[in-house]
Amino acid sequence: MDSLLQHLERFSEVLAVSRTTHVSTWDAATVRRALQWARYLRHVHRRFGRHARIRKALERRLQNQWKQEGGSGPAPALGLTNFQALGHCDLLLSLRLLANRALGDAAFHYLLQELFPGPGVPGAEEGMLQDSLALLARRRAAVHMLRSGAYRENPVLQEDSLMKTQAELLLERLQEVGEAHAEGPGRFLSRLWEHLPHNNFLKVTAAALLLPPSSPRHQEEESELGSPRRAGEQGRELLHWLLGKSEVIAAFCRNLPAGLLTSVAGRHPEVSRVYLGLLTDWGRHLHYDLQKGIWIGTESYDVPWEELYGRFQSLCQAPPPLKDEVLTTLKSCKAQDGDFEVPGLSIWTDLLLALESGA
Amino acid sequence: MAQDSIGLSSDYQFWMQKLSVWKQASTLETQQDICLYLPQFQEFLRQMYEALKEMDSNTVIERFPTIGQLLAKTCRNPFVLAYDESQKILIWCLCCLINKDPQNSGESQLNSWTRGLLSRILAAFRSDIKEVDLFTQGLGYAPADYYPGLLKNMVLSLVSELRENHLNGFNTQSRMAPERVRSLSRVCVPLVTLPDFEPLVEALLTYHGQEPQEMLWPEFFDAVNEAFLLRKICLPVSAVLCLWLRHLPSLEKAVLHLFEKLVSSERNCLRRIECFMKDSLLPEAACHPAIFRVVDEMFRYALLETEGAPEVLAAMQVFTRCFVEALEKENQQPKFALKTYFPYASPSLVMVLLQRPKDIPQGLWHRPLKRISEMLKEIVEDETQGSSGGPFESWFLLAHFGGWADIAAEQLLTSVGDAEPPEALLWLLAFSSSPGDGPQQRAQTMVEVKAVLSHLGRLLGSPTPSARDLLAAAGESGEGDPRPPACQQLTRRLLLNFLLWAPGGRAMARDVITLMARTDEIMHEIVGFLDQTLYRWDHLGVDAPGSRKLARELLAELRGQA
Repeated sequence: MDSLLQHLERFSEVLAVSRTTHVSTWDAATVRRALQWARYLRHVHRRFGRHARIRKALERRLQNQWKQEGGSGPAPALGLTNFQALGHCDLLLSLRLLANRALGDAAFHYLLQELFPGPGVPGAEEGMLQDSLALLARRRAAVHMLRSGAYRENPVLQEDSLMKTQAELLLERLQEVGEAHAEGPGRFLSRLWEHLPHNNFLKVTAAALLLPPSSPRHQEEESELGSPRRAGEQGRELLHWLLGKSEVIAAFCRNLPAGLLTSVAGRHPEVSRVYLGLLTDWGRHLHYDLQKGIWIGTESYDVPWEELYGRFQSLCQAPPPLKDEVLTTLKSCKAQDGDFEVPGLSIWTDLLLALESGA
Repeated sequence: MAQDSIGLSSDYQFWMQKLSVWKQASTLETQQDICLYLPQFQEFLRQMYEALKEMDSNTVIERFPTIGQLLAKTCRNPFVLAYDESQKILIWCLCCLINKDPQNSGESQLNSWTRGLLSRILAAFRSDIKEVDLFTQGLGYAPADYYPGLLKNMVLSLVSELRENHLNGFNTQSRMAPERVRSLSRVCVPLVTLPDFEPLVEALLTYHGQEPQEMLWPEFFDAVNEAFLLRKICLPVSAVLCLWLRHLPSLEKAVLHLFEKLVSSERNCLRRIECFMKDSLLPEAACHPAIFRVVDEMFRYALLETEGAPEVLAAMQVFTRCFVEALEKENQQPKFALKTYFPYASPSLVMVLLQRPKDIPQGLWHRPLKRISEMLKEIVEDETQGSSGGPFESWFLLAHFGGWADIAAEQLLTSVGDAEPPEALLWLLAFSSSPGDGPQQRAQTMVEVKAVLSHLGRLLGSPTPSARDLLAAAGESGEGDPRPPACQQLTRRLLLNFLLWAPGGRAMARDVITLMARTDEIMHEIVGFLDQTLYRWDHLGVDAPGSRKLARELLAELRGQA
């Protein structure tokens, strides 16, 4: 067991190094050793896949890297992150080495010989890596052809393939991080928020919150290995984090399209509560301009009337109970303001009037 | 070897030119052209690799100075990269350019450039959306991790868009524009054998747009059909049915492919033929009359061309059997009237022929036989009925259900010596073996057969008949037999039946066969007869352990000899 764990550590180091310029010191023998270790670990994966105790021990060791604080920069320098990754660790290593310009010519030449032995006995152990790499290239070409040919971005954001894939990846990572450390997901998400473009991140978060309850990518493999992963749990972690960060939830509600937010609010009542709270807050910032006859804000960051109306309109098109909740909120705000029926006195009156006439 | 290299050089020029025209496959015309040449180009790449792997990096450049251009252009062509094994072979070729130990800057540069290309095929192809890249990197994922998932999601999304058209019918908003569907079918051409694409291929095949003309690209159908015939793709029957209904050349190719397989594989083994037949999905698809008619037409043509070759006959009988089975399995109530399958035949005749002997007690088999014989006789000998297509059509119809003629022969044999052989059965036998005969000739044949039967009957009585006695009784006089070949064939059939059924048959079987099989063709015929008989007995559940054992032994021995 110990030697197994040692092997794992050593290989993780190798994998981490394989992306750096340090490989310039590698010769053919080093490459051979690295590939051998990878093959050995793949064999371990196959043999002990059903062996819960060994698998757990290995996973725990791999999850150590999540426990390290303060990741350097935006992208964690990851090696293997879970037991499953052992199943194709040779592929991971090979791809990194192939892309690494620092690898010397002789070592590279050797690598190519090992990876691409040429036509021979199909299905043999050596041929498998060759076929996996070729399949990868083929799939890439397929994605490229679909995108430049017939594929169109789906207007319904949460159905869009790229969004869905990113969302699935996010939830998968959260699962791993969560298994390593209870507070891991929160910290991890905060780090992402700090380093990644906000717009895309928020969209992916929304898409993740809208994924169907059991749609993780590796569901078939998971059930084989006996650890079912449910999108529901990680979704809860994500939601918890989102609601806990006022800056994030404000940006979430402000920047995402109305329809998308309505869907999220419909699925998650906690979000609808916060969303409505923010909307009422924004509404209170507007005042009525008698001359122009419209509601306007004073600051540049104030939400304009059109947008406010658009969001409420979208919410009112949602099925109950959301729709009812929204109308109740609006009516109570109107009552608080004095329950006027005449336009121009309370924004809530005007909104309700506009919604009724528009509906 | 020199010849090969000359051929390769001229090919090289040809493909260089092609690649320059194709560029990045962005226009419709170039895409069309590329799809036509994909298999040949792959073959060329393979040949290049075979040549390159013998050389070291410097020799390669000497021999093919523009190889860099060729390979670079190929790398930029997504159609080629997406096709079958082309990407793998391309990688092999690139590997040949890598110099283990570059001596000068030129060689180093070549290395660097080649590595760039390899990297491009395997590690690059970013999603060309910066935010997505940043996001996935931020999570710690490399493209290799998520590309399979992304592809799956894209395929699912497209499939649901295609299926939506089905359900929404007239909802113009959600309908996928026909031009997009067409372009999608183009994109699929190199990718039909990629397992991830199976749902998309299926969705395209079963897609029905609102336009009157076919929107899918014909090359798409060709590619799917090829992949299906070579077992490189798994499709449900419904999808294959759509394929064949929408694209006639695919159906024809499928039938020809089956014919080729039957001819080249072990002949004279009906069980094997049945397996091939069922695997091909043709019998199931033939439940749709349009497909049945096309397949039937091809069988008819094959029979005419080969003048009734027994292999083709056997294949057609197996096909019909499997077809009837599929038809019964499909639905209790037939969706289409029988007339749609056999438009030139009298429906009542078809009904009788379709009866399964299995459903009738063996003792009553003579009844349907008699009816079949009478009905056929009426059609064939009625000269005023010009529209029935002459005796050939009737014979062709009967040939589908060849089992009846075999049963007739068996019946005649097993009841020999009891009473006069029924005229109806004699007529049926004579007709099935020689449909073109005029009434006098047929009558003559019937007389001959009757004579043979009575001789055989007498032999039953004698204690130990010898092989020669038997042959003499059958009128098998060796060389110079005056009777027409069809008649001789009939006689042989009766003889063989006798051997299988008569109590003394076992003892002289081998001798008789040795004496009978004067030529390879006749030997072939005997083997075919034994195989066909066993096959029929298995399907009808005929209980005759002694005969069965003998037939099996003989078949094994004769096959071993061949």
